[in-house]
Amino acid sequence: MTPVWKRWLPAAVVPAVIAGGAVLGAVQAGAATDLPDKTPQEVLEMVADSSVRSLSGTVEQTSELGLPQLPTDGPSAESDASSGVPSGVASALELLGGSHTARVYLDGHSQARVQVMDRLAERDVIRNGRDVWFYSSKQNAATHLILPEYSESEGHHSDKAWTPESLSEHFLSSVEPSTEVTVGSDSEVAGRAAYELVLTPDSSETLVGSVSIAVDSETGLPLSVDVQARGQDAPAFEVGFTELSLEAPSDDLFNFTPPPGATVTERVVEDHHAKHAQGDHGDRHQGDGKHDKDYTKYGSGWETVIGLPADEVPAELMDSPLIAETAQEVDGGRLLSSALVNVLVTDDGRAFAGSVPLERLQAAAEGR
Amino acid sequence: MSGALPATELAIETTGLTKRFGHQTAVDGIDLAVPHGSVFGFLGPNGSGKTTTIRVMLGLAAATSGYVRVLGQDMPASLRDVLPRVGALIEGPAFYPFLSGTANLQRFDTADRHASSATRRARVNQALDRVGLSHAAGKKVRAYSLGMKQRLGIANALLMPRELLVLDEPTNGLDPQGTREVRSLVRSLAAEGTTVFVSSHLLAEVEQICTHAAVMSAGKLVAQGTVDELRRVGLAHVKVQTPDTEDAGRVLQRLGLAPEPPHSNNDGGSTVRAPLADHTVAPESIVAALVAEGVRVRGFAVESSSLEDRFVALTGEGFDVVQ
Amino acid sequence: MLAALAAVPVLIALAVRLSSRDPGPGQGPPFLDRVSQNGLFIALTGMVVSIPLFLPLTVSVAAGDTIAGEAGHGTLRYLLAAPAGRVRLLAVKYAAAVVFCLAAALSVATAGVLIGSALFDVGPITLLSGDTISVGESLLRLFLVACYVGLSLLGLAAIGLFISTLTEVPVGAMAATAVLAVVSQILDNLPQLEWLHPWLFSHHWLGFADLLRQPISWDSFAANGLLQGGYIVVFCGLAYSRFATKDVLS
Repeated sequence: MTPVWKRWLPAAVVPAVIAGGAVLGAVQAGAATDLPDKTPQEVLEMVADSSVRSLSGTVEQTSELGLPQLPTDGPSAESDASSGVPSGVASALELLGGSHTARVYLDGHSQARVQVMDRLAERDVIRNGRDVWFYSSKQNAATHLILPEYSESEGHHSDKAWTPESLSEHFLSSVEPSTEVTVGSDSEVAGRAAYELVLTPDSSETLVGSVSIAVDSETGLPLSVDVQARGQDAPAFEVGFTELSLEAPSDDLFNFTPPPGATVTERVVEDHHAKHAQGDHGDRHQGDGKHDKDYTKYGSGWETVIGLPADEVPAELMDSPLIAETAQEVDGGRLLSSALVNVLVTDDGRAFAGSVPLERLQAAAEGR
Repeated sequence: MSGALPATELAIETTGLTKRFGHQTAVDGIDLAVPHGSVFGFLGPNGSGKTTTIRVMLGLAAATSGYVRVLGQDMPASLRDVLPRVGALIEGPAFYPFLSGTANLQRFDTADRHASSATRRARVNQALDRVGLSHAAGKKVRAYSLGMKQRLGIANALLMPRELLVLDEPTNGLDPQGTREVRSLVRSLAAEGTTVFVSSHLLAEVEQICTHAAVMSAGKLVAQGTVDELRRVGLAHVKVQTPDTEDAGRVLQRLGLAPEPPHSNNDGGSTVRAPLADHTVAPESIVAALVAEGVRVRGFAVESSSLEDRFVALTGEGFDVVQ
Repeated sequence: MLAALAAVPVLIALAVRLSSRDPGPGQGPPFLDRVSQNGLFIALTGMVVSIPLFLPLTVSVAAGDTIAGEAGHGTLRYLLAAPAGRVRLLAVKYAAAVVFCLAAALSVATAGVLIGSALFDVGPITLLSGDTISVGESLLRLFLVACYVGLSLLGLAAIGLFISTLTEVPVGAMAATAVLAVVSQILDNLPQLEWLHPWLFSHHWLGFADLLRQPISWDSFAANGLLQGGYIVVFCGLAYSRFATKDVLS
């Protein structure tokens, strides 16, 4: 007679084969990457020389910032107001925290489209020359911006938070004596062999452990950025391509006509400093552009602290129950702590933020 | 059909067949030998392991140990070759209540890969006709009586020409008329050369239609052979009808018999019975002796043992069956 | 059961038609606010509403009934004695469950399109990306969505098939399968179990939205197909292991 265990064999073998295949595949994928060695300088030059202007790809972002999970857009389509978080703050935090997938299409300097793919919804930013459209499928609302003349040549700022290219540019600009730059082991991103540029802050007065940037070995295009927080195993913030094609996307993608029935808001941008949180396409924050003028900067490099005077801090920030719950009482105010960024709101209403430990924020608050 | 098999081949053969469910032994090392062409009665009280044996024979359950050969091939290894040649009614009929009798039979027939779809309709109608259900073929089985379902179950076993029919309690729920029809059906099938294996707890049924029989008790096979052989093992009795019971008893004792206490009949006389052990005393000499003693003999008979006596002797009386 | 599923979009359509107030953007189930402008959206709303409960429930009933139903009727022994062959019976039963999954999704979509076009205007559909496509392509996309949803349910059907081989009480198998469908969705909503989410068979259930983007994103379709394929292989394997040697005593 067949022993009892034998008849369960097929059911046990199948998962084993799947797991084995997955491990083998991973090993092979790792082994396949073997690039000629390069110095950090050479890799940085590759990035600078990169001439990729047309691409279509999928970008995935994950964050383990230790922030509270905000109610995401489920099929029930709760409105943001019900969570007690001001809509603008909520969508900004929502984009930073958690995981997101977006498709990015670029063609030249003036045509771009970013699609943030939410559950059963989508947020689109489409730029075609001077026309920029924001569209949110959930609200069925579109916002139309006409960019000032000069931004035509200035590159694509509307998707700044999103392409790995723009993010790594930011980090490369902070390459300075305080940072150790090395080339790590070769990696593979979106099926492309890549150099891994590792930036390690020399300062211990920052929360950032290291920043790794994967640079495509063929084109010099940055493919992914990982930010490691001090004392955390998993990357605190990760953004990178999961799929990438360097062919020019179809022109139709950049032609946007608001769908029938959608609410359309027209806005004209006079000030090229105007910033738009990607998730906030609404018209609630009209004229918010002056926000960034009044901050004070303390320290430099990795230890920079930004201070905002009391009247610039939105009052509802600390009033919202969700944030009030997470903030902890510290000397001189309340602290919103995450893996990469600390925010101190002083008792008199000022706010200080930076990738630094609490003590430095307190020092900045006291004017030291 | 049967030409392929040697005459001595057994239609069903089990060797040390054992089936345990946990610690309970349902079938305990039975050696069945069902000759080809026989009508084989498989007797036993409820719960004696008949249905379990049938399930193992048909590959529905796996034997814990022992071997089964059906139509000369090992089961369940040759299940696919053997089962199309076997028609079965297992532990009562079972059908989809929301389908008609015809649709149910067609569904089961579709399940058999060897059954040709071209002849399906004809074969279904023929099987229904054979069990006398043609008039109710289009009715939903939900509306069938127990007896009709039983007939439909037998019809299902007859969808294809079979070499072996396994019928578990075939007359269950049938009225006397239906019982007689089933009996004649079994006889006619046997006459065509089909081996019929009938399990039953009804002795009269087995006695009337079977050539061979086996008796199960508490999972063990306690007797097996032709029906005549089984009967012969039991004791014959002499039965004397007389008003002079005491005299008759004395005479019988003198002849070396052990008369049982007399019991009175409703005609005013009484009956004296005595077992007739291994035919040492000729029945005619008993009559002579009785008459010579002046016993008024109103009736005299020699009764061979019925299968029922044998059955009860083997399996216990009444509800007090061995489990 | 298919009729009950088809009733979902019909009820939604009637409710929207009879109510005096149009739902605002973002209110109620997704796409509901578009219905009064374009009846085709009824099919999508019906799909979104049916996915968490109604579709898994009907699929659980169909899949849980496969083997346990036959065992419950007692017909399993006759099918095996016919002989149907155990593997063949299992394969046929699963194939029937697959057909049911697809038919279930298609009946929601079809009923939605029919009732939508009967009660409301039908026109080009606005995709999630804000682009507009013609009615013809809309119907094609709806068909793809129905296929996606049908595919999404195949893993659950395989689980149901396996559970069905464990019991002779069909209601038990149906209930256990339906409970698993609900549990999987609850687990999928617990952020603490994020590592588990990609392995849950219900993880991609609402991913059909990717078919409503421009251009179509096939990633979900592929990931979902792979996931469901894994579930099918594992649970059909388990069902085979269980059923091939099971003592049929019903």
